[in-house]
Amino acid sequence: MFRLEDYVEDARGCPRCSNCKFIEHIWVKSARFARQCPINVRYKFNLYSAPGLLHSALGVLSNELEFSPKLMDALYKCTLCGACDIRCKRNLDLEILAVIETLKARSVEMGKGPAPEHKAVAEKIKKSNNRYGSPHGNRLKWITDDIKIATKGKMLYFVGCRSSYVHTKIARATAKMLNNSSTDFVVSEEESCCGYPLYSTGQFDAFQKQMEHNIEMVKKSGAKIVIMNCAECYKTWKVDYPKFLSKSTDDMEFKVLHIAEYLEELVKSGNLKLENRVNIKATYHDPCNLGRLSEPWYHWEGVHKHFGVLEPPKTWRRGDKGIYEQPRDILKRIPGIEFVEMERARDNSWCCGAGAEVQDTFKDFALWTASERLEEAKAAGAEAIISCCPACEELLSEAVNASKDGMKVYDMVEIVLQAVSPKNDSGA
Amino acid sequence: MQIKRELSRIVGAENVTNEPERLRAYAKDYSLGEVRLPNYVAEPKGVEEIQEIIKLANRNRIPVVTCSSGIHFYGNTIPSQGGIILDLRRMNKILNIDERNRVVMIEPGVTWGQLQDELEGHEAMALIPLLPHPLKSALTSHLEREPMLVPKFEYADALLTTEVVLPSGELFRTGSACVPGFPNESAADGVNPEGPGIDWWRLLQGAQGTMGVVTWANVKFEYKPKMNMSFFIPFKNLNDAAELIYRTQRRMIGHECLLLNNTVLAAILTGKWPEEYEAMKGTLPPWTLIIILSGGPRRPEEKIAYEEEALREIAIESFVPDLPTSLASIPGLEKNFPELIRKPWPKGKTYWKFGYKGSCQDLFFITSLSRTSEFTRAISAIASKYGYPLADIGIYIQPLENGRVCHYECSFYYNPSEPRDVDKIRNLFAEAAKTVLNMGAFFSRPYGPIADMVYERAANYTLVLKKIKGLLDPNNIMSPGRLCF
Amino acid sequence: MSIPKEAYEALQSIVGSEWISDDPAICNADTRGGAGAGIRDLNAVRPRCSIQPGSAEEVREVVKIANRYGLPYIPTSTFYTAECAPNRDNTIMMDLKRMDKFEINEKDMYAVVEPGVSFSMLQAELFKRGLFTFVPGSGSQCSVLANHLYCGDAALGWRQGLAYRRILAVEWVLPDGEILKLGTRSTSDDFFWGEGPGPDLRGLMRGNRGFSGGMGIVTKMAVKIFPFIPEKLVPQGIGPHTTFQLPEKRLKWYNGRFSSLEQLIDAVYELGKCEIGLVVFHVDPIFGYVARARGKGANVFWEEWTKAKETIDVNQGWLRILLCGFTSEKQLAYEEKVLEDIITAHGGTVRPSRHLDETNFQSADAISANFAGRRFLSVLYFESVDHALKVGRDGAELKKKYVPPLADTYGLPGWYVPYDFAHSCKEESLNYGDVDDVAILGALYRECRENDLKIGAYPFGEDPNLFGPKWYNFHEKLKAIKELLDPNNVSNPPQPVSRPSGGV
Repeated sequence: MFRLEDYVEDARGCPRCSNCKFIEHIWVKSARFARQCPINVRYKFNLYSAPGLLHSALGVLSNELEFSPKLMDALYKCTLCGACDIRCKRNLDLEILAVIETLKARSVEMGKGPAPEHKAVAEKIKKSNNRYGSPHGNRLKWITDDIKIATKGKMLYFVGCRSSYVHTKIARATAKMLNNSSTDFVVSEEESCCGYPLYSTGQFDAFQKQMEHNIEMVKKSGAKIVIMNCAECYKTWKVDYPKFLSKSTDDMEFKVLHIAEYLEELVKSGNLKLENRVNIKATYHDPCNLGRLSEPWYHWEGVHKHFGVLEPPKTWRRGDKGIYEQPRDILKRIPGIEFVEMERARDNSWCCGAGAEVQDTFKDFALWTASERLEEAKAAGAEAIISCCPACEELLSEAVNASKDGMKVYDMVEIVLQAVSPKNDSGA
Repeated sequence: MQIKRELSRIVGAENVTNEPERLRAYAKDYSLGEVRLPNYVAEPKGVEEIQEIIKLANRNRIPVVTCSSGIHFYGNTIPSQGGIILDLRRMNKILNIDERNRVVMIEPGVTWGQLQDELEGHEAMALIPLLPHPLKSALTSHLEREPMLVPKFEYADALLTTEVVLPSGELFRTGSACVPGFPNESAADGVNPEGPGIDWWRLLQGAQGTMGVVTWANVKFEYKPKMNMSFFIPFKNLNDAAELIYRTQRRMIGHECLLLNNTVLAAILTGKWPEEYEAMKGTLPPWTLIIILSGGPRRPEEKIAYEEEALREIAIESFVPDLPTSLASIPGLEKNFPELIRKPWPKGKTYWKFGYKGSCQDLFFITSLSRTSEFTRAISAIASKYGYPLADIGIYIQPLENGRVCHYECSFYYNPSEPRDVDKIRNLFAEAAKTVLNMGAFFSRPYGPIADMVYERAANYTLVLKKIKGLLDPNNIMSPGRLCF
Repeated sequence: MSIPKEAYEALQSIVGSEWISDDPAICNADTRGGAGAGIRDLNAVRPRCSIQPGSAEEVREVVKIANRYGLPYIPTSTFYTAECAPNRDNTIMMDLKRMDKFEINEKDMYAVVEPGVSFSMLQAELFKRGLFTFVPGSGSQCSVLANHLYCGDAALGWRQGLAYRRILAVEWVLPDGEILKLGTRSTSDDFFWGEGPGPDLRGLMRGNRGFSGGMGIVTKMAVKIFPFIPEKLVPQGIGPHTTFQLPEKRLKWYNGRFSSLEQLIDAVYELGKCEIGLVVFHVDPIFGYVARARGKGANVFWEEWTKAKETIDVNQGWLRILLCGFTSEKQLAYEEKVLEDIITAHGGTVRPSRHLDETNFQSADAISANFAGRRFLSVLYFESVDHALKVGRDGAELKKKYVPPLADTYGLPGWYVPYDFAHSCKEESLNYGDVDDVAILGALYRECRENDLKIGAYPFGEDPNLFGPKWYNFHEKLKAIKELLDPNNVSNPPQPVSRPSGGV
């Protein structure tokens, strides 16, 4: 199950063309924003790139390379944004990201990783079911009196750690949007961290436990749809849970939705009216985990034959079916919003730097990555940057504070709530 | 006399001389260089003879100076340390015309007239500089990177592969001509100048004979248009002309494109010297931009039509009021002009550079079109300082490669029999060269005293060039004293 | 062998500790290059350190230290060539990605680039200015500077020619650390022209196959850029379905079909003589199958390609032509007619094709050729159009005995990309294998080269030791020049005197 050995052929197949370091060439609009791999842009050594990490994976497997300080540095600075993966898949059939993810897990197996900070988060999750180590009992404290939670329902709102404990306004805004559209939903007191902090740092055993717990929770609730507002949770549930169960997403017993998908359907069907003006010039930041990495997982077991032919054939996830248009569609319908697009958009999105818990150990690098994105938003003429992930919002806000440049950062549901609700209700 | 005997053995006694009269013919030319006599003149007929001569020269450390043209302007064929003049005029065959690849193989003694006449029969023309002297070697023009009149191609020189006798006497072939069996039994057609190993052809170009003796070369030719439409666009202001060149070249309009001041154009068009010259010049605008639209082999009139339409659009946008297709002073010129400039200067007619005063010194360099005014002003200031009439300065500007750069050529006409004139021109020329060099003019082909200035400034380039020269010509027998050697 | 501690410390003081490392993983990642991996890097070893200079001055200082201590160094940027793989274990890998500045002179149509500038970066900026550059077949991600030192070939060369025609002035750190400035740069701060002064030392820079860093490091190069149309190419789609929508009245694709390659070649020659078109090339049908399988996978490609065996006619000619109305829309209209005239006259048929492009202006799909096999080795030639047909057919014949395990390309003679209005032409035979077939690819390559010697063909990328004795002993002269400029033999030895993996 999801081991480095399963991806040897992918590592061997890398032609080292370096396409993975650039956004889709057709979409390059300027030299400034042509590149897409944060570690390679920042650190430049070939190790700090997909080809370098793939070559390292081969070295580790053949015992010719150890997990040296720089290898650990490169590996754990990689935000697993997936840009390299889908860029490669534009032309080739290689699972780049899987090599990197399983290489991380190998470093953990061999006792070299993860960083102490990541281990500490794992402990917190184990003890308190959340990444912060806050009391589990406080997980549902974000719920205010004006929010209606059903006691039974087909839809379970999985809030996620960030929205439950820190970005509670996002949880409230999400809940109010669901209320506003007369959607019954439940929450669960047994909700535990989705496991993304564990998966993305190679702590696969601990992740497996979280997964099993959460799936059981859904089963108990009777829900058939799990909805969430966090892109990290979304991708974890939709992609990594079936992956670890050796199943395809479609074979799971519940459907996973992001609030952006659901809201867009509501808006298009007329069940959600975006009537209030929100006067802002804004751009949309595609979270990696909602965009290019969010396609359903297709389980595959088979063999690599000559010339990379697979038996049986495999369905490839190339990033073209991610959630790109739904948030845009919603935002563009809100009166007063002047929507501008950054150069690196959709599958070309530049990672904000929040992925793979990089900011826990390499804060400077994470902030640098975020500040690059803010530069891009400014270059597009935006006053605000809107995303669909509390992790993105958090780090981008931190970067704004550090730079003091006044760019506003929002989650999409906050803006939508303003567009539907009486004035001043942003969920706060 | 031993050397002469050896030379006679190699090329035949009738093709060797050391008669003073004959030697004097090679001791000076139309440059302002010092008079220096060679020791011998030898006229070989083929490559083996050349090889033997070079080897002889090496054994005896005698310099060898190569020439192919029957006339010389820049001093590079004057032997600065005596030696053997290797006159290649007897090697005057057009060895092969490859119509498919549009490549012609020529020996050094082939003149432009010979070449163009032969290619005419194939509906073709080589890319000729501005009215070269009838005795000028076409191969030499290519080796010396003389600018071609047609800037629409993304190449400024047409040289491809060559056969060369290296300074050691060893035979070598550059580019794809080096393959076994070339040209008759090889798959290669000699059209790729690169390699083998390094790009040899680049070392041979601009070398003024210091890197070896080219015995034949493959050069490109192109289709010779049958249908043409010439424009003689007048300008008072050089900047305006340059701007129109930028715009038209950017949209790939035109076949030939050249800019002449009235001095040069009058010199070219004057029928009778000196009576007609001043009158002719008086009718011409300060600048004339000549653009020739040409039709292709198929649907030529349609090509000319769309280019003309675009040219007129650009002219309107550029506030250029007139696009005359003729010169008022020479009715009917437009019919003959393309033919005139696609050939060398006619034999038997006083060469256009000599008609005015007998001789001229050309100061030429590469620069950006946008700086041509600036250089003109600077040169004019120096000319004034020396009391040289500004109206006598000839200026020819040749855009290259769609207007990416231009060849800027400034001619100072003078009477070579007047020592004071000669002195004035020598000093004016030197000061003008130094000034424009300091302003950023690029002398890609530095001759005589300009070479000294350039190589002093390009110190590291000079150092490496000398190292390469030392490797290829350890006895320094090939044109010593030229360039930086 | 190790790098002396004093050398390492000196290197560190030049670039700062952030930009140098001897960490095994960093060095390991620099062991292997791209194209030709497993074939041209058989002697590859892990280098001793990797360094990232940020300027030409730093490059120069590093080179001088390398010379002092006799340490081989290899410059890389994209590192998409196996010829830059280190073959001596005390090698310093000099990664030039930090040097990524460029300037565009729009009026005089040239760009001055450092080694870390990629084609996609430059092209995007040029499009804004109504200009374009020539994106190579290896892809937009490649370094502009490095590619110009190699061959710089792509279909856009129909008018513009190959890289040797597109280099202007240059700043070059010679193997011994001296700085050499060529062209206008030798006498001024300008970069606008590359010749001379006098004999042109650009001749030492790249030869017929590029020197892979074996003659020092070019730190700045002015490259020609070309006039284009004012209309914009509109990007569309999400990968892998991205493309440019072309402005139809100014840029238009056509497909020409001929019943024989001889007819096609005749048409190509006439197209060149008539000087029409922006892109003209004979396409190998395998590319069509690759393009149709993109986004679907290698399985789909192989399924379709296997069926194709029944229908492929190796003598048929498929011509792709892109016409461009540089001057105006009327130019395009004129060229359409002339195109029709020529193709018909040579027995072919022509029809418009889709007005999209993802291959030529930003070579986004270059690497998809690897669909047909995860290792690809081309046997390349740049000579005449007629030569292309000859060597392509020979190559196809020679390949037969290596199939399988190499991919069966049904006797197709590769693809031809003419340059310079058909004054010359690339022939590239397409040889696909898998990761474990590299030795066989190498064997085929060597056999093709031996055939080249027999028939007097002129290959790109010749091995000096194999070809030298038959080609006027150029290998001895090359060796002498190498010894002259690199007396300590530290600039990617043994390049360019020989290839590190024995001639392939």
